[in-house]
Amino acid sequence: MIKITINGREISLEKPVTVLEAAKAAGIKIPTLCHYPGLENYGGCRLCLVEVERMPKLQTSCTLMVTDGMVIRTESEEIARARRAMLEFLLINHPLECPYCDKAGECDLQDLTVQYGPPVGRFAEGKRKHPESFEDPLIVRNMERCILCTRCIRMCDGIQGASAITVTGRGNKSFVEPFSGGRYNCEYCGNCLTVCPVGAIMSRLHRHVYRAWQVEEKIKTLCPYCGVGCSMMLQVRADTILRTIPEPDLGINKGILCARGRFGYGYVHSPERLRRPMIRRTDRLEEVSWDEAIGYVSDRLRDIKARYGGEAIAGIASPRCTNEDNYLFQKLLRAGLNTNNIDSTVRNSIAVIQRYMEDVMGQGVTANIMAGILNSEAIITIGGDPAHINPVFGVKIREAFKKGVKVITVGYAPGLQRFSSYRINPYPFTEGMLLGVIISELIKKKGLSGENPSFEERIRSYNYPDRNGLSEICGLSFGDIEMVLQELSRLQSISIVIGPDIVTRTDMRSIIFLITALSYILNARVFILSDRPNEQGIIDMGCLPDMLPGERPVEIESFRHKFETLWSSSIPEKPGMTILEMVEAANSGKLKALYVMGENPVFNLPDGQFVRDALKKLDLLIVQDIFMNETAEIAHVVLPSLTWSEKEGTFTNLERRIQRSRKAITGQGMEDWKIISEIGKRLGLRMDYNSPSDIMNEISRVSPLYAGLTYDDLETEYNLWPYKGEPLRHKLGSGDWPLTDLWKPQRKDALYLMIERHMFLSGTLSRHSTALNSIYERPVARISPAVADRRGIKNGDLIRVKTDRAGVTLAVSIDKNVPDNAVLLSNNFVDSCALSMVPFRMDEETKVFSLNGIEVIIEKVGV
Amino acid sequence: MEIFLLKGIDNPDSATLEAYRAIGGYEGLHRALDMQPQDIIDEVRKSGLRGRGGAGFPTGMKWAFASADPKFPKYLLCNADEGEPGTFKDRVILEKKPHLLIEGMVISAYALKAEEGYIYLRGEYSFLKDTLERAIEEAYREGYLGNNILGKGISFNLHVHLGAGAYICGEETALIESLEGKRGQPRIKPPFPVNVGAFSMPTVVNNVETLSNIPYIISIGAEAYSRIGSKECPGPKLFSVSGHVRRPGVYELPMGTTLREIIYDHCGGIRDGRNLKAVIPGGISTPVLPPHKIDVPMDFVNICRFGSMLGSGGVIVFDETSCLVRVCYRASKFFEHESCGKCTPCREGTGWLSSILGRIEKGQGRKGDIDLLLDVTGNMSGKTFCPLGDGAAMVVQGFIKHFRDEFEEHIIDKRCRFG
Repeated sequence: MIKITINGREISLEKPVTVLEAAKAAGIKIPTLCHYPGLENYGGCRLCLVEVERMPKLQTSCTLMVTDGMVIRTESEEIARARRAMLEFLLINHPLECPYCDKAGECDLQDLTVQYGPPVGRFAEGKRKHPESFEDPLIVRNMERCILCTRCIRMCDGIQGASAITVTGRGNKSFVEPFSGGRYNCEYCGNCLTVCPVGAIMSRLHRHVYRAWQVEEKIKTLCPYCGVGCSMMLQVRADTILRTIPEPDLGINKGILCARGRFGYGYVHSPERLRRPMIRRTDRLEEVSWDEAIGYVSDRLRDIKARYGGEAIAGIASPRCTNEDNYLFQKLLRAGLNTNNIDSTVRNSIAVIQRYMEDVMGQGVTANIMAGILNSEAIITIGGDPAHINPVFGVKIREAFKKGVKVITVGYAPGLQRFSSYRINPYPFTEGMLLGVIISELIKKKGLSGENPSFEERIRSYNYPDRNGLSEICGLSFGDIEMVLQELSRLQSISIVIGPDIVTRTDMRSIIFLITALSYILNARVFILSDRPNEQGIIDMGCLPDMLPGERPVEIESFRHKFETLWSSSIPEKPGMTILEMVEAANSGKLKALYVMGENPVFNLPDGQFVRDALKKLDLLIVQDIFMNETAEIAHVVLPSLTWSEKEGTFTNLERRIQRSRKAITGQGMEDWKIISEIGKRLGLRMDYNSPSDIMNEISRVSPLYAGLTYDDLETEYNLWPYKGEPLRHKLGSGDWPLTDLWKPQRKDALYLMIERHMFLSGTLSRHSTALNSIYERPVARISPAVADRRGIKNGDLIRVKTDRAGVTLAVSIDKNVPDNAVLLSNNFVDSCALSMVPFRMDEETKVFSLNGIEVIIEKVGV
Repeated sequence: MEIFLLKGIDNPDSATLEAYRAIGGYEGLHRALDMQPQDIIDEVRKSGLRGRGGAGFPTGMKWAFASADPKFPKYLLCNADEGEPGTFKDRVILEKKPHLLIEGMVISAYALKAEEGYIYLRGEYSFLKDTLERAIEEAYREGYLGNNILGKGISFNLHVHLGAGAYICGEETALIESLEGKRGQPRIKPPFPVNVGAFSMPTVVNNVETLSNIPYIISIGAEAYSRIGSKECPGPKLFSVSGHVRRPGVYELPMGTTLREIIYDHCGGIRDGRNLKAVIPGGISTPVLPPHKIDVPMDFVNICRFGSMLGSGGVIVFDETSCLVRVCYRASKFFEHESCGKCTPCREGTGWLSSILGRIEKGQGRKGDIDLLLDVTGNMSGKTFCPLGDGAAMVVQGFIKHFRDEFEEHIIDKRCRFG
């Protein structure tokens, strides 16, 4: 116990902290500028000076640790004089242009000057001049205003890990600049903007648009982009989002955001937003009233159901919509239209792998708290780059690495390049072989626990590849993984971070078996990356052809019966069609009506041309979206819905945390849940909800997993799985789906297509964000230096990339993180959809599409 | 007094191993390796040696701190960032007797159980890099460096690291930052380098001259050494004397020699028969002294009574034709240029001071400027992150204290009498 005296008050402290922290705990305010919670202490601004007995000089409270018996004074004439002096010094070179500086009103320097500063400055010499930099599309730098607190640099370096900026020059000619010069070459997390105390670095998105005191509302909500579920404050004025800001104490992201969250909100105000419902008349979509549109949709659905039965109708749910939207969506299909034909693109990412792992290791095995990854001794990432797919989770992994955790990346992971102990980069799509060798070695070194005998039987009986295969198939040597094997057999607490790209393979069942086996053998904490905000919610809400809400199998009579009673309607026993089966059924004419909510199958499924042709055969294609897209263009009815900021609801993040997303502005469409309930009502369903909270109340009545859960609970610890309800208890399964041979490259010198997932882009919303498009302007083809060398291609050259299906001409970006023999293409740009170059294939068992083994031919067509 | 540090420098080949050995070089090392490391530390402590870089911290105590830290590896850094204006004493050793420094470092490393060492050489001394590296190469060849020194199984590897021209990197933590490849700026202390230094490991940073004293202490013993010069801080001291004296240069004299002796006995007095006007005793950041104070004994302790500091021992002498306002302005320009920018009072204060002084010097001074200067320096003093800002303030305060008339004359006459 440390006893200190501050301003005459005795305070006891458990552990040594800085004088500043001790004062704060005691409710004593010491003014600071360069200090910022969470950042490394700096001691540069000298504003937090205090008097300490037996120390001759004033001390900076942010750097001085308390010691037992210390006597501190935070207010005295000398301290006041020193604070005045520091502020006078800071204002020497800081331009007094508050009247036209956007920061005025929320400027730390301004506030401190008002409170502690001199009444008038005595500086009568010339001020420093430095031109304002507009070279960057998103961030404007005004280095005359910079007070060199270096909060931005310590954020960029110490927290984000981007290390993109530094102080250049010296003394009073020091300026904060990106290493890249004028334009930033960085991760555009914008976290530097959050911490800048003055108007030195600011977002250009709201430059000269408003002043801090003109913000009408600050709404606590979530980021709509990925499955991390970061909290943010939306600042709003006149029904317009002014900016998104994280707060140090808020949510799981604790004061940071990524590029998408920070700068990507502009799509909400895009002029291309759909505003009025449309119905196809002859060959054109024409605007109609809501009443007409809803009437038309329900009449047509009723007709088709009457004529062909519920099995001719299907729905595609959306991982970008809320739990409430998705719950109602599957209820409409099951209870209103008598079909289990409900699925989503989540099938092709987390749904299948989570199902398998839960079968073998128990429900909730992937429900791990992200911050808990810091307690690992080693982290393995495979199947995607966490720093790109879930950037803020990626920052956590970087933090773990800096703490000394061994980070092992498998495959393309540029965002962890400087934060990994071991980087294993096999040839594209050959991770299965690698996993096989690792597992067979680990079984020898570690043995098996005996927890799930039937799965262990499977692990034992698997025919593991020979380690010599590593060099031939993966392009690796045993030496490349020897150290990793040693670490894995030695360490006790291991996390596995699985990316969605591991799923979309022709050999996915074997790969998922192997990853599960690895997780099982290592007794690892599992995280599955999720690049859309509500992928978990889709699963939990029953937007699956074989699962009711709460992950209750539809085939089990007792579960079905319960829902039938509560919904007063019968539910078919037979599981419905999966998303790719729906497309095939549309093509064959078996499917007559498809209701697509917040999804774009023509763009987001392979072979867009085939999907488009198939969907065009439907009698009724309903697309409910916020933008006109490739699928909406061929729809019979287009229903404009609302963005996340225009409605209430909940999202379930990748750690299975349910969080509230709140309405901040009023949009011109209709809430998804409301559209569905209007249609439902006309189809005779009881859907008289006043708000999403009513829907959550119903969910908590019908889903045993959510029993008794209310919106109020979501502000408490009950927002994390297993909530208040009961997880499904079941016997651990043996994961006995039929395995296939692992995929091998057919030809040694072939190049294979890979789809890029980039931290700036999400493919759907980001396409309409001018800000995000300004930092990733054009699609590029990324290739490894070795491939570039062999083909005589230079950075920026134009190449033609062709599969047997389609081709595209792109500029080349040479990237040393790209696996050899791969061409990495983006699927985020309208005219160069990489998925359209992939054939429409699906796994027989899981009905997941596959992206591996697509040979591409590249040729240089220009420079 | 017997000359030790500068012994043999008149030999044109003094930098060679051969010449160094001819004057008894490396004998101290042989003797040291027969001692226990702790005994060497005790010996240095008993000798009373204080750091010659400027702060005068007891070397033995610094070593004892580092030695007591259980972490390994430990590092030994030689601060050869001799950037203090008016100081060129280390340069003589680096240029003429690099083996003396190397021998001192090997003994020190052995005492500290450090196996890796760096000589952080100021960027402007890049022309000495070859000399140093040649000497290091010779030392490796003869087994004075390497992994089996003199066949005793002791390791010490030595590297030269060139700075990039920042005065602040003479501050030991900024030096370490720079050595690690970062921007040269001082670190928060504590932790001190003896516990968390280079690459976060226990590190001793000693000045060139300090390390060069070690072989002497080992050769003649702490007892004999402690009888040289001042009682409070014994030993030989290098004084680099520049300015208006007849014979400027580097002089090895016992600690405590008075300024008067240095100027008049050793340097031949003021040139051209003029009178002494002012003297800066220890490099530009030590306060100036007027002629009536030159009986000050030059050591770390006694000089404080005279209102200045020994600093690096860079004595700058001004005769009656010098404009001290201009000297003060030039000094403040230097601090403005060299302020690293980390802390507010130094970054902004140094610039403010030099702007005001520049105006006064150009005849554009205003009434109240002198009080403003004093107030600004008062606002800097004791509030800066490291001593650079304190020095900048102290220098201006010193000139105004002793030569206020001259500042006032500039402001009133709006011109400088010296042109």
